[in-house]
Amino acid sequence: MSHVRIEGLTKRFAGKPPTVAVDDLSLEIESGEFVVLLGPSGCGKTTTLRSLAGLETPDEGRIALGGQTVLDAPGKINQPPNRRRIGMVFQSYALWPHMTVRRNIGYPLRARRTGREQSREWIEETARLVDCAALLDRYPAQLSGGQQQRVALARGLVARPDLVLFDEPLSNLDARLRDQVRAHLHELHGRLGFTAVFVTHDQSEALALGDRLAIMRAGRIEQLDTPQRVFEEPATEYVAGFIGMSNRLTPHRQGDGWQVGDQPVTGDLPVPRAHAEVVVRLRPDDLQLAPATGGTPPAGPPAGPGAGGVSLPARVVDAQFGGRHMDVVVTVAGTQLQAKATLAAHPWVRHVRRDDLVTAWFADRSAIYFDAGGKRIAGHPAAAVGA
Amino acid sequence: MVASALAAPTASTRARRLLPRLGALGFLAVIGYLVLAPLAGLQRLAFEDGSRGYASAFDRPEMAETLRTTVGLALGSLAIALVLGTLLAWAATRLPPGLRLLRALPVLPIVVPAVAAVTGWAFLFSPRPGYLNALLRNLPWWNHLDEGPVDIYSLPWIVVITGFGLTAFVYLFVSSGFAGINAELIEAAQVSGSSAVGVFFRVTLPLLRPTLVYGGFVALLLGLGQFTGPLLLGRTAGINVLTTDMYVAVSQSPIDYGRAAAIGSPLLLFGIAVVVFQKLILGDHSRFVTHGGKAFRTPGRPSRLAVAGIVAYSLVALVLPLGALAVVSLSPFWSGAIDVGGFTLDNFRKVFAESGITDAIVNSLTISIVSVAIALPVGFVAATLLLRGRRYPVIRAAVDFIVAMPLGIPAVVFGAGFLLTYSREPFLLYGTREVIVLVYVTLMLPFTTRMQLSGMVALGDAYQEASRTSGAGPLRTTTEIMLPLLRPTIAGAGALMFVLLTHEFTASLLVRSPTTQVMGTILFDYWGNGSYPLVAAIALVMTLVTAAGVLVATVLAGSDIFDKL
Repeated sequence: MSHVRIEGLTKRFAGKPPTVAVDDLSLEIESGEFVVLLGPSGCGKTTTLRSLAGLETPDEGRIALGGQTVLDAPGKINQPPNRRRIGMVFQSYALWPHMTVRRNIGYPLRARRTGREQSREWIEETARLVDCAALLDRYPAQLSGGQQQRVALARGLVARPDLVLFDEPLSNLDARLRDQVRAHLHELHGRLGFTAVFVTHDQSEALALGDRLAIMRAGRIEQLDTPQRVFEEPATEYVAGFIGMSNRLTPHRQGDGWQVGDQPVTGDLPVPRAHAEVVVRLRPDDLQLAPATGGTPPAGPPAGPGAGGVSLPARVVDAQFGGRHMDVVVTVAGTQLQAKATLAAHPWVRHVRRDDLVTAWFADRSAIYFDAGGKRIAGHPAAAVGA
Repeated sequence: MVASALAAPTASTRARRLLPRLGALGFLAVIGYLVLAPLAGLQRLAFEDGSRGYASAFDRPEMAETLRTTVGLALGSLAIALVLGTLLAWAATRLPPGLRLLRALPVLPIVVPAVAAVTGWAFLFSPRPGYLNALLRNLPWWNHLDEGPVDIYSLPWIVVITGFGLTAFVYLFVSSGFAGINAELIEAAQVSGSSAVGVFFRVTLPLLRPTLVYGGFVALLLGLGQFTGPLLLGRTAGINVLTTDMYVAVSQSPIDYGRAAAIGSPLLLFGIAVVVFQKLILGDHSRFVTHGGKAFRTPGRPSRLAVAGIVAYSLVALVLPLGALAVVSLSPFWSGAIDVGGFTLDNFRKVFAESGITDAIVNSLTISIVSVAIALPVGFVAATLLLRGRRYPVIRAAVDFIVAMPLGIPAVVFGAGFLLTYSREPFLLYGTREVIVLVYVTLMLPFTTRMQLSGMVALGDAYQEASRTSGAGPLRTTTEIMLPLLRPTIAGAGALMFVLLTHEFTASLLVRSPTTQVMGTILFDYWGNGSYPLVAAIALVMTLVTAAGVLVATVLAGSDIFDKL
């Protein structure tokens, strides 16, 4: 199998102003690895993928697929897509409407002049793998979205390419189908062990599928790590925000303690003395609420100041019923925070109203602390609490 | 492993890189020669001997009058076309659901060949024997007249006839402009309290402004290049425009190409200016991008007035001239009175008996088909280059400009240029069908390119990219993916060009020879002889050939084929 190496990839787009879509990006992918490029639109993830496919002409950098140099910008080598042993699954599926499913799936084999007998065998085998053996003689227009998706997947895999590229292939499916196809794709990868690069902006897709995630920002990789480590130890504040730590607090030291705006914080933050100001990132699940009158929170260890808990006076802005939980928006000294309070643990939350005064608190280890520049503050123990 | 591939590019990769560029350059050279050589040849002649051509053209006292007439004709017909075209397009959006098919009616005058329409109008409004004039003289306040009251051979009426001819183009532009307006914009204005009329003037019209400006410029170009109407109707009364002046300079002795070239220069310059303006202002291919959002829905209820307006317009612009042609073609001779008892098919028998006419019909058909067969691949290559030639920005820009030029520059200028260029070394083609094919291919460049380009843009990149990443090279991608997917577009473009070419009169008249005629030119010769019933019969045959082409076009490419022009 393959080993993909990207070195110093740079792609600029002319325009007013000119933009750098990919900025000196380097990445190595092991054989059989499933790497997910995750980031918001415009971060360069799709341009990186298209450069791997040979659909873009990068300005600088080198790409080697399985030992074969396919791009060497200084040496003026840029192999066209058909000279790279790749398969690709497109966001729109791009199934050719004038061909049957069989001809669609068989096209990469015809293009690569695979023998007729072997082609037939591989087409049917791949169709079985993606559960569309019964659809082989239909046309794409006669298929549902999910079926088209599976056919596109089969077309990408059928020629047993060195590298399979996925360009947000699940984003056109409705939510329920997306979960099914995601599970199916994960299982297929486990079974076949192809090398894959998968582009998405959906964090749950990325966490579920990737062996490693590359979180991209402005054409660069902000963090490259396993899903577990990205989830638990985001390297920068940007990554933390992108993988669901949507609550952001900016406390500063005041005497011996901390303050958010003019609100004093109860409890200490596990931050070295040298930092006078920090940025705290926290998932909504980890922000707990307690009635303001109750003093200390009634439930959930560790409780109270001094036991690793941090609490703040807050005011309720809005509360939405979410089935087994309430999504509560509170404001602390002008900063809005979201709390996801499970009703089983906090039945009283069912009755919160706008303008109620509550205490918001979190275990100090469930939050992650960054300096003003967005870098995670060194020395902080990595473990997350109560996940 | 990486290091080994860092070596200098091999000879084969260099060839792969170089060949497409050479191909693109060669293509540019061919279409560049086709379009620019005739124009350059004309200018060279005009500047010869110390600009003798310009001197002889512009020193004559009549020139001022000719220029005034040309501009007056263009502006007058433009005004008529803009008002009528916009009103008709508006009316078309207010048709009741059952009568939506009526939308096609205002387009149909395009289908009628210009020579046929003009002769049809002449049969109706010729001062003495015109059928409608004779009818009007029965009215009490006109019954003392011997001729008139309408004189089709006068400038105002030439303006009106020309304006009618341009209306269909404006209608097309504005209709597609309406289709691009998001219905919610209109509904928002209504909900905010505007009346239907208020919505039209405050929201719809301002939104249409870019369309109207562009469509207006195209109609103005067409008006300035008008040839058929002034030639057939204006010559007897001494009404000259630049195009007819040019024709006279190259067709009547003393033949003076230099003068002809000089006369055409204002049209040439204005045409180039409009093309440049369009490329700079309207920029890329945004015009071809299909609009998102909800399709245009008309505010207010369907209107009977809209139906009446469209039907009345079609009656006047289509049924009247065609009816006159039919009556004359069935009559032994043309007089103000209609004698149904004397109707005969003799004229049609004569049309199909005279070898000169049948040859012209066969010529028209074969030359048009051959030209379409050449224009389609040329347009495919040009469209591909425009869409994917990002690596050759200079070549691409040049192709873009050259391909657009025949739309801006009147056919009469091209006709004169071709006559000049191909009557001398190195290509002695005068009097052959080949030279007509060359002119036709050149005139079709904008249409074949634009229609195929918009088809490709609508397909998007994903189908091609999927093919390339599946391991197929450019050739297989073209033959197995692009051509099958573009088949309706290509077929529609072919049929439409066939229609336009069987119509062609202006350029054909300049490059034809007495022995190599097409339908339009033979009709003109018989018009000159005064054999009016034969003229009418030929005009009807021409219309039928065209109608058959249109039918094929709409079957192949859908009824919105004209929107792609």
